[in-house]
Amino acid sequence: MSMTMTARSFAAPGAAARRRKGWSSLWLVLGGLYFFLPLLATFLFSLHGKKGALSFIAYAHVFRDPEFLHTFSFSLEMAVVTIAAGLALMIPTAIWVNLRLPRARALIEVFALLPFVIPPIVLVFGLIRMYSRPPVMLVTSPVLLIAGYVVLSFPYIFRSVDAGLRAIDLRVLTEAAQSLGARWSTTLFRVVLPNIRVSILSAAFLTFSIVVGELTLAVMLAWPAFGPYMALVGRDLAYEPAALAVISFLLTWGSLAVIQLASRGGRGQGPTAGGVH
Amino acid sequence: MAFLELIDVVKHFGRHTAVQGFSLSAREGELISFLGGSGCGKTTTLRMIAGFEVPTAGRILISGRDVVPVAPNRRGVGMVFQNYALFPNMTVARNIGFGLRVAGRPGSEISRRVDEMLELIHMSEFRERYPHQMSGGQQQRVALARALAIRPSVLLLDEPLSALDAKIRVRLRAEIRAIQRSLGITTIYVTHDQEEALSISDRIVVMKDGRIEQVGTPFEIYNRPATGFVASFIGSSNALRAVAVHPEQGTASVDGQEISAARPLPALAGQEVRLQIRPEAISLHNGVAHNNHLRGTLVNVVFLGSIVRLVVSTGGSELMLDMFNNPHLALPEVGSTVTVGFAPEACVPLEMKGE
Repeated sequence: MSMTMTARSFAAPGAAARRRKGWSSLWLVLGGLYFFLPLLATFLFSLHGKKGALSFIAYAHVFRDPEFLHTFSFSLEMAVVTIAAGLALMIPTAIWVNLRLPRARALIEVFALLPFVIPPIVLVFGLIRMYSRPPVMLVTSPVLLIAGYVVLSFPYIFRSVDAGLRAIDLRVLTEAAQSLGARWSTTLFRVVLPNIRVSILSAAFLTFSIVVGELTLAVMLAWPAFGPYMALVGRDLAYEPAALAVISFLLTWGSLAVIQLASRGGRGQGPTAGGVH
Repeated sequence: MAFLELIDVVKHFGRHTAVQGFSLSAREGELISFLGGSGCGKTTTLRMIAGFEVPTAGRILISGRDVVPVAPNRRGVGMVFQNYALFPNMTVARNIGFGLRVAGRPGSEISRRVDEMLELIHMSEFRERYPHQMSGGQQQRVALARALAIRPSVLLLDEPLSALDAKIRVRLRAEIRAIQRSLGITTIYVTHDQEEALSISDRIVVMKDGRIEQVGTPFEIYNRPATGFVASFIGSSNALRAVAVHPEQGTASVDGQEISAARPLPALAGQEVRLQIRPEAISLHNGVAHNNHLRGTLVNVVFLGSIVRLVVSTGGSELMLDMFNNPHLALPEVGSTVTVGFAPEACVPLEMKGE
């Protein structure tokens, strides 16, 4: 009898594990369907641009439209500048917080929540009110748009860079570099930045996604960006917005794929370096 | 002549005093260990020498020059960290050559020096490996080579072996000592492991609560501890409570039984005094001539492999005594009355400082 019980007690965990695995798979499939079905429907819909046949004509219309290229290149430009400005601002801040002011982390965390709490429409009205009259007239300059984008992307950039810095034991690495005679700039460019490369890429692509799809700031500040263009196309046309949505998805997934490739290809980096997303 | 000198160094963190009145002179080529428990100030002192902490007061001289105002990257001090601190994005060769590259040395010199260092740590075949492709022991050897590659005036090691397993620790500490001796580099070695400190050091600084308890050679620290803390921290020891009888002659009484120490007692007649005796210095009185004898009750026998430890209760104290194990060892029964003996020289009066 004791042998039977022993056999049962050994068999039970295996059966439980199989049941758990079955449930996990079911939820995974359901989640996948919830996510992919609308996307598939959008894609299929976008192929119906030509009556009675499946075609990529809607995509051809999108790519032929000079406004597409114009707005996309404008947003791309804004994204690049926003990424550069955001990283230039956030990397030293995150390093400073990690090394010298760990107590300021709580304050920075509050700031990082603000873009989620304050709607972009409130932010943009605040910016317009503040910078449309002397002494600082910025409302006609793209600087104000970029500043707004930097605020919106702040949580993503800070958290990515901060996670990367925490993963590498910043204090010890900087002290090791200093004890070997390195100045701050050398330590930053040869030791710190190469070791948080994946986090920086991650921050850059997240910022890219935000800027390219952003609507409110661009509309209110009257800039010919990709977000307003998508909204306009969605209002006036049927199949082209679906094609644009698919293109946006592909752009985003392409960015994520680049992050993945970069993190795998990172020589000398551990698999978890900077990967907290 | 002192090569590295710390003069009345003090460090406060807010209201907390981490290091208090720390003074030490290290000769060129000497290896000095800072030994103590957690929070005793040993790592803070090391970091002040490295320049990562600024002393609240006091001076730190390297080769006669006060380095307190000098930035860490200009001190010429090599440092090895507990968790290796190798740069993950660089190969072994690039890690070792980092200090020389930032100093702007020519490529041929860097390559030659890297080869020398790899040979020194017997890791020439690991040249192109990345840190994550090596074991902890290998990483720490590379970290040592990297610190030595810049030919530092002082080498600082902050618990370099504490993240490694026991066997590698023993092997690596012998390697570190051999390399340090061959290069003749002045070295400060921080550890909380007394065996490590005893085996590797020319001198040991025992620290407690930010203060130096005792500075001495491993032999002095082990055999002549200056305080109760040192006696209890280093090795196993007995702290025998006694009452001073003729302090100037070193005689005291334990429950009416008179014993003598080889040194005067730091107490007045009639005052309590503590005498430190190592377990291996006490033996069962089997006709062996000893000046000091104490009768007591055998309360425990503990088998420790090569050693058998007996615990004898006498005069309100429990004395441990160690005997070498052998197959013919005949031990008295637990509960029986035994007489233990020890030489006056084995009996070290403890100053009651800081207790």
